[in-house]
Amino acid sequence: MTGETRYVTLPSPTASGSRLGVPQGTQFGGLYAREILRTFRNPWVLVITLVQPFMWLAFFGSSFANVPLAELEALLHIKIQGYLQFLLPGTLSTSMLSIGMFGSMSTIQDKRFGYMKRILLTPTSKATVFLAKALGSATRGLVQIPVMVVAALVFGVRFYGDPIMWAGWVLGLTLLGFGFSCLFLAVTASSTDWQTPGVISNFITMPLMFASNALFPAANFPKWMQYIAAWNPVSYSALFGRGIIVQGVADWTYLGYIAIFAALMMVAGTLVAARYLKVE
Amino acid sequence: MIDTPPGDAIVAHDLTKVYGSVDHVDRQILTAMNGEAPRDGPALAKRLALSPSTVTQHLTRLGRSMAVDHVEMKVPSGGVFGLLGPNGAGKTTIIKLLTGLSDITDGTATVAGYDVQRYPMQVKQRIGWVAAEVILDDDFSAWENLWLQAKFQRLADWKPRAEELLKYFGLGDRRKDKVGTYSTGMRKKLEIALALLHQPSVIFMDEPTIGLDPSTRRMLWEFITGVNQEFGTTILLTSHYIEEADALCDHISIIDHGRFVASGTPSELKSRVHEDFVELETVETVTEAQLRAIPGVTEVRTQGKTWILRVSSAEEVLPRLFAHLRTDEIKRINVEKPSLETVFLDLTGRKIDDVGGEVFDYRKFYSTVRRARQ
Repeated sequence: MTGETRYVTLPSPTASGSRLGVPQGTQFGGLYAREILRTFRNPWVLVITLVQPFMWLAFFGSSFANVPLAELEALLHIKIQGYLQFLLPGTLSTSMLSIGMFGSMSTIQDKRFGYMKRILLTPTSKATVFLAKALGSATRGLVQIPVMVVAALVFGVRFYGDPIMWAGWVLGLTLLGFGFSCLFLAVTASSTDWQTPGVISNFITMPLMFASNALFPAANFPKWMQYIAAWNPVSYSALFGRGIIVQGVADWTYLGYIAIFAALMMVAGTLVAARYLKVE
Repeated sequence: MIDTPPGDAIVAHDLTKVYGSVDHVDRQILTAMNGEAPRDGPALAKRLALSPSTVTQHLTRLGRSMAVDHVEMKVPSGGVFGLLGPNGAGKTTIIKLLTGLSDITDGTATVAGYDVQRYPMQVKQRIGWVAAEVILDDDFSAWENLWLQAKFQRLADWKPRAEELLKYFGLGDRRKDKVGTYSTGMRKKLEIALALLHQPSVIFMDEPTIGLDPSTRRMLWEFITGVNQEFGTTILLTSHYIEEADALCDHISIIDHGRFVASGTPSELKSRVHEDFVELETVETVTEAQLRAIPGVTEVRTQGKTWILRVSSAEEVLPRLFAHLRTDEIKRINVEKPSLETVFLDLTGRKIDDVGGEVFDYRKFYSTVRRARQ
């Protein structure tokens, strides 16, 4: 040790929260800001996030273009202006299924490049890291909403509903995206392999997309698929949005179901992450 | 500064880490061994009332997977403590245990006045950490990296200090540039600045100069000494560079296979060995007996194709060696005077840089990482 110590006097940063449990608000803010900034600084992530649902509308939305409207309405069990109008709330709902992939990939990148160590060697809990990633993913997914709505307007779709209903619709999509991001991140919490998110994405997305009211009405499904669709939160979100923009009617119980789904996923995911989130 | 504890900055007692799952019997055996080498299986079996074969089985498993083996350490506040050992000796694992990044299997550790297992968050508020592989967010500027670190550490009024640190490390004029454009030396300095931002009482530095060129290494040595003397920060560093430990540390523990084989000040350690070592590479016809016959050679060992001779004095023995062997029988010869290297050689029978298998190529790693991020 040194005999004569000459300490440089630097202005001391004031640290807060030296009690036993360290509050996590600031850390959450920092982590969330990091997620968002990283997304918006990478133009390609944005472009793909935006183009993918747009292509859904353009290609899938045109698949019944030559079917007479009356036949289509009989098939879809609803009075509509065109398939695109039916499809829009569904597509936005199904696109919330896979946005968890972004959060999951950014988590794996942090593990592989060691940044997770940098975070976890500060008084930041694994649960905070998890929630920031999940909300970051959901936020990324929200960017799709205005783009899709504008695109649908360009394709000539007419919308109904009032601003409160629309706010509820956006909230529902946010909660759905957040819930699926939590699910996604929890499933990949202990993974460090780049390939996992893609595999899990296919695994989660395919069945939940088709076994829902998002693309076609469940009334046409066989019994077993109707059973899945009845429990599938994607169905609630699609029906909720469809009621608003096609008929101008909001059934708020759907929003309640989605909120319960998001809350369950958040609690379960946080518990899983606190236990199993790998550092490297 | 957050309260700096008086006295010892780091205290570890019986610190043990076993990889993989540890069952009840493992734990019983670890406790019963109490830091002794797992040699005496039958005695342990008797003491624990277990069958000898069970104990042998568990000892083998523990022995093979024991990354840190009953380590005792005490680092006084303000000191620079070095963990010196080859790759894979358990240096990084000790840092992970002391910082709460990895779970402790057995024993206790207190860092900056707090028990690591009971109050990990309190410990993390009081420690800084510098990684072997530079870990920064390359998409962000130096200032933004500092900002994130301040968020993670819950610092309210960090900007003046961040400014000062950037100035101290000579990064002030590049603060707005993305870290991805920095040289490795600059990245390393920024990493130390990040570790100092919240005025920690202890900083852990894992192989701080690995993969750096000699001049950058020397510059970092000055910064590390400066951080210790000017900021009064306790430093625990790991290294497998002998000169580095010798130049920086006021206390060194030599570690091999997860155990401390020797501890002391650099001069104490060096004074433990008075004899010289001669490394010798010969043609295959030369035998051990031939070398033993040379007066002044007290021990003959082999490491790979190299003979390692312990000699009373290299100056006296070398002429005799040349007299005993024909010049065309000697391929290479190297003399080690008493140094930390000979201490390690003496204790383990191997040279530090020859063990541990392949050396990780950090330069290649950095460039791969950087390319992957672009």
